Amino acid sequence: MIKSGYFKKHLTVDLTTGKAERVEISDSFLERYIGGRGFGAKLVWDNLRKNDFRVKPLGPENLLVVAPGPLTGAYLPSSGKNSFITISPATGLYGDSSIGGSFGVELRQTGIDLLSISGRGPELSILFIDNGETAIIPSPELRGKSCLEAEGLIKSRLGSHGVSIAVIGVAGENLVNFACVNTDWSRNAGRTGIGAVMGSKNLKAIVVRGDQDLPVDNLKELMAENDRAVTYLRQHPYFKLWQREGLMTVVDYANSIGILPSYNFKDSVFARHEQINGQIMLDHYKIGDSACFGCPMCCGNICLVKDGKYSGVVTEGPEYESCAMLGPNLGVDNFAAILSANQLCDELGIDTISTGNLVGAIIEGYEKGIINLSDLDHREITWGEEDAILEMIRKIAYREGIGDLLAGGSKAIIERWPAMDEIILQVKGLEQSAYDSRAALSMALAYATSDIGAHHTRAWTLARELEEGKDWSIEEKVDLLIYHQTLRPLFDMLGVCRLPWIELGLNERHYENFYRYVTGNDLSLEELLKLSNDIYDLTRLINSRLGVSREDDSLPYKVRECPSMTGPNAGRVIDPEEFQEALSLYYKKRGWDEEGHVSAKSAKSFND
Amino acid sequence: MTVIPELCSGCRICELVCAAKHFGVNNPKKSAIRVMVAYPHPVIRMPIVCSQCKEPPCAEVCPVGALYRINDIVKLDPDLCISCYKCVEACPFGAIYAHQDCKEPIKCDLCGGDPECVKNCPKGALRMIPEQALGEIRRIGNLLSYTHMKEIEFYEKGEKKVIHYTEVGKEEL
Repeated sequence: MIKSGYFKKHLTVDLTTGKAERVEISDSFLERYIGGRGFGAKLVWDNLRKNDFRVKPLGPENLLVVAPGPLTGAYLPSSGKNSFITISPATGLYGDSSIGGSFGVELRQTGIDLLSISGRGPELSILFIDNGETAIIPSPELRGKSCLEAEGLIKSRLGSHGVSIAVIGVAGENLVNFACVNTDWSRNAGRTGIGAVMGSKNLKAIVVRGDQDLPVDNLKELMAENDRAVTYLRQHPYFKLWQREGLMTVVDYANSIGILPSYNFKDSVFARHEQINGQIMLDHYKIGDSACFGCPMCCGNICLVKDGKYSGVVTEGPEYESCAMLGPNLGVDNFAAILSANQLCDELGIDTISTGNLVGAIIEGYEKGIINLSDLDHREITWGEEDAILEMIRKIAYREGIGDLLAGGSKAIIERWPAMDEIILQVKGLEQSAYDSRAALSMALAYATSDIGAHHTRAWTLARELEEGKDWSIEEKVDLLIYHQTLRPLFDMLGVCRLPWIELGLNERHYENFYRYVTGNDLSLEELLKLSNDIYDLTRLINSRLGVSREDDSLPYKVRECPSMTGPNAGRVIDPEEFQEALSLYYKKRGWDEEGHVSAKSAKSFND
Repeated sequence: MTVIPELCSGCRICELVCAAKHFGVNNPKKSAIRVMVAYPHPVIRMPIVCSQCKEPPCAEVCPVGALYRINDIVKLDPDLCISCYKCVEACPFGAIYAHQDCKEPIKCDLCGGDPECVKNCPKGALRMIPEQALGEIRRIGNLLSYTHMKEIEFYEKGEKKVIHYTEVGKEEL
């Protein structure tokens, strides 16, 4: 039984009519869907049914759900997470992306657990939720402003630094399929094009200011549990390394086990990785740490370029994904140039992963003669050519020349040049993130079956398989994958970060206790995982009803046909037959049919 | 308490523990310490907290004498306080806070001498430093960065090491 942990309020905003309403949330809804992506999936499903499954991602009928979880902002490590859930313009399917920083905490402190936005504003506006008050403020002067500039302008207009802002850049306004939402200056909900959905609603920013106590059932026990978890984290041998380098520590690691994409995934190691790794960052660029709310690990690195061509570039980042996709994947070995590209993406509001992936594909397509110089607006582009790369990134956000096509993402590029299907790594229209899966079946299957497309958020089984499980049976690999796809989304439902668990091995049992002490609801970890598993059924159901079946759970061409050239995994690809065998087993274990559809019984359970 | 902004990551754990300790609530907005962030011009994160001034401007403006200094801590007597918030405005650091739910201003009392925020800061950005040691880090930094030092390399158990030293010039002898 839910005793606490929620305000039991859902704020609905219709931008077309300007109507905002706080509606009561029932206990049964809270118990079953928990929060975050659980709430989001259910609301998106209901909205699809209401609209007879005809929802255009960028149409006013699409619902954008902003959902922290019951643990967001609570007295426990790394509790600053918030999810955005919608129908993604990149895939046309279920999409979500989470964000760190303080936005979710501030949103909850206004006294709500959930925000959903529908319709389309008559002009560019910001949504301001100030404790109990909600206002839609027309802000045409913010058009064309970068994420950071807009955040500053909004703060000075409201005369307050005590607000938290989720804002889109030019790319979101221009409906770039992989536009992101930026908060706290440079934390991004990067994937699945949430920024374009905001742009389609004429919504430049969501601004929140909340002062209310977060409901907690047993704060004393929660604090004691937090102390146990933090004590564990602080004595971990990698804790200090993590504080120092954050995700940049993964660059060397990824290179050593052969999963670091370079030259558009032609290779899985990068010879000059020592020019762009964590040590280089520490020695020459890092000027400060940055942490999300309540996080002792502070994985964010604030970097400044102090001299040379990029002098004055300051950015929070890069983290591993941005560094790999804007660096080795494009043949760039200059850390300052990576920082510059990272800053540009943050300012324009586009996802660094999709951007790096697509620009890499264009370079390779041009190299292979699929794309002509005239298609590139007569601007040559090759590996490592920093100026041309930065120019192309800018063009994407402004939809100029070739950028207009790239803004449509991998689907648009493949439609224009069908041969590019063999060049771009994507699943369901979402470009693959920076972990090469050619040597790990479980990871290839993870990308294929992720509900948002080729992203590692649902499962990151790569290291485990390569370190311990090379000789595992298919069944062991599938089991590991399903465990990841169940536990990791649970973190997104609770509204906390998964890094303490995945990176420093914090026992997941802590989260059972965190949930219990916050909500008073006495569920075991297994019961929580069962609820998370239900949500995986629900997102699959959404995708099925929107046309997904077995053939969409696919391997990118390169993963099955083009082995990487050098490194520990040279020559390896995923065998398509073995993949199909694993996929069948995966469906069976999930209780889905051979085509990958959820059972009628499970499907029906989401209709009340 | 001394704040080292260069070490602050902006995680706001100090706010969480302060509010939990003093009000028993999960609400960073009810803390006597707040992390302020400026970005990107300039880039800085700084926890703002009471300095326990020896001549506290807050106490000087308090019309009812509710603020007083005892055992190196500037304390607020809730029974005397009339909630006029003159102290909040008078503090040159903005280190006294107000919240709509709270009658009195929220002010750091150093948890009686062993502050929770200092114990829980994961970066060591908050420290209790005795007065006589203030400035020590800068002094040592200055000492170590003295530019006229010479160095020699030597090997100890096969490991290369460097020793720095200063030498009195012959002409000065």
